[in-house]
Amino acid sequence: MLISRNIKMADVIHMNYFTLSVLNRFGIELGFGDKPVEEVCKKHNVDIDFFLEILNTFVDKDYFPKKHLQSFSVKLITDYLQTTHDYYHKVKVPEVESLIENMVDSCYTQKENIILLKKFFDEYKQELLNHTHREEEVVFPYSLAIEEAYQSETPDKSVIELMNNYSIDIFQNEHDDIEEKLFDLKNIIIKYLPQPKDTGLCNRLLFVLFNLEQDIIDHSRIEEKVLVPKIREMEEILVKNFAKK
Amino acid sequence: MLKVTFTIYEESFLIRKGLAFAIGKIPNTQVIEQNDNSEEIYEILKNDDSDFIIINPKIMTNNNLKEIVEQKLINTQLIAFLADSKELNELKWAETISIYDDQNIIIKKINKLVGHKETQKSKSNSPEEISKRETEILKNIALGFSNKEIADKLFLSTHTVVTHRKNITRKLGIKTVPGLTIYAILNKIIDINEAK
Repeated sequence: MLISRNIKMADVIHMNYFTLSVLNRFGIELGFGDKPVEEVCKKHNVDIDFFLEILNTFVDKDYFPKKHLQSFSVKLITDYLQTTHDYYHKVKVPEVESLIENMVDSCYTQKENIILLKKFFDEYKQELLNHTHREEEVVFPYSLAIEEAYQSETPDKSVIELMNNYSIDIFQNEHDDIEEKLFDLKNIIIKYLPQPKDTGLCNRLLFVLFNLEQDIIDHSRIEEKVLVPKIREMEEILVKNFAKK
Repeated sequence: MLKVTFTIYEESFLIRKGLAFAIGKIPNTQVIEQNDNSEEIYEILKNDDSDFIIINPKIMTNNNLKEIVEQKLINTQLIAFLADSKELNELKWAETISIYDDQNIIIKKINKLVGHKETQKSKSNSPEEISKRETEILKNIALGFSNKEIADKLFLSTHTVVTHRKNITRKLGIKTVPGLTIYAILNKIIDINEAK
């Protein structure tokens, strides 16, 4: 279902409770009664077009952002993506870690197996960190620089050199499947790990892993469907404008 | 169990979704939708390795397209989707679906094809069990050897090793080397102290 500005914010959550994490990242608090999306956004100083774009891309994998809605700034997108990264590192990863830690502590029969899982996740954590770090160090600054040149009446020639050295297409090509290891971890627990005594703990871990995996997939989709097309369009126009001169 | 895969090439969103919905009702199937109007259709079709391709024979009047499809017929079967005519061309069609077929008929037709395909697939290799050879290769992967090293060690071509790896990943549902290593340890294929 397409989420529009007139829908009640409460209904958005009823429809798909995963949106809670998105609302959270926008700093929108619960308790909005029957207020529509637009009003809630206004109250929290959230750009409504951007909010709808993110939410719809998040809930519907077939959603294609509409051009006319892409009026918001790149800074909004990178800020949002940055919040998502923080959410992974400060909330989700520690959550998984503490569950695995609990499993190690409460298990006597196959401690060494659970320690294997722990090592595996440690590696994954590093991989995720490298991944988000690269985006923050390379992709976001590049995107912001492109936007700045695009909006400037007399863009500096240096942006051409910038584009020669990097382009948003490079990002798209090297954007690896960061969720692959999570997929493996889930399957190892579901299919191959001798079940520990405390199955409740194990189920909770799986639940968090599924959740994190889904969030990362949705996050990548936002990068690929919202950020990449926007920057690519600006790149093309910049190249054209410079060619004219 | 290996999934039976379908790719739908169709321009109309409604028809694509409708066909995908009907096929989705059959267990163990996987559907990919392609807009056949896109410019990359040649590339996509060339690299398509699904079991069944659903396509409107009408767009095959394009000879280039027809040629590509003909080359695929060794591994892939064709299902004709007929929107407004009953005309088939000389290609080998495994089944036809008409826009006027109701849900039960479509499901019945697809089910029959899926059944055949499943028996075929399970004959060619037993789905979940990894073979002795694959276990040997898995062991070497877990020990940290590269494809090339494994190939040299076992007197195989690198290409063969890659194929084995793909099969292992598909059968176990584990994609990464660290994941495969844990599997190998849990199943005592290697000892925990041997792993890097």
